Amino acid sequence: MNKSELIKAFSEKNAISTDEATIIVNTFFDSIRNALLTNQRVELRGLGSFKVKEYKGYTGRNPKTGETVSVQPKRLPFFRAGKELKDFINS
Amino acid sequence: MSEKTLTKADVIDMIYDKTTRNRSEVKKLVESLLQLTKEAIKRDNLLLVSGLGKFEAYSKKARKGRNPQTEESIMLPPRKVVVFRLSRKFRSEVNEDE
Repeated sequence: MNKSELIKAFSEKNAISTDEATIIVNTFFDSIRNALLTNQRVELRGLGSFKVKEYKGYTGRNPKTGETVSVQPKRLPFFRAGKELKDFINS
Repeated sequence: MSEKTLTKADVIDMIYDKTTRNRSEVKKLVESLLQLTKEAIKRDNLLLVSGLGKFEAYSKKARKGRNPQTEESIMLPPRKVVVFRLSRKFRSEVNEDE
């Protein structure tokens, strides 16, 4: 399923307009995006939590060519499924 | 690193500001949306959110495990796990301000 299908399902299930459903679904995912962009944790009961991990830069090597490459520091958001989601998909 | 955590209450507030509904209606809608995302992940094993990433559920086989405290060996049952994969666009945005 993609976002527009989710919006459609959401509007039908709650008998609200597609416009309103679009605003709500977009605000929902944008709030997660914006929190992670400013390095905040996100904790949504029922779904799970997101956290941005910071990685230091290092000097690596291309194993094929032996060439030295410098790997820049980076940030990567991680998601951990919450207990409810884990139980739900296994039920 | 900021200590602030975005919670469901914050998300409800943000949506409340953008609709004409009262808070309890917004809360109900957010719960319904969370339920639908879970159902989508369970049914399709995939939920794509453009600009953010995708949630994927995949199956893990049963395997032998061990309780590290008691050394007892146990069989872990087959199960499904959910992973989130970052979209390329979002990944570069997260690293933009360096």
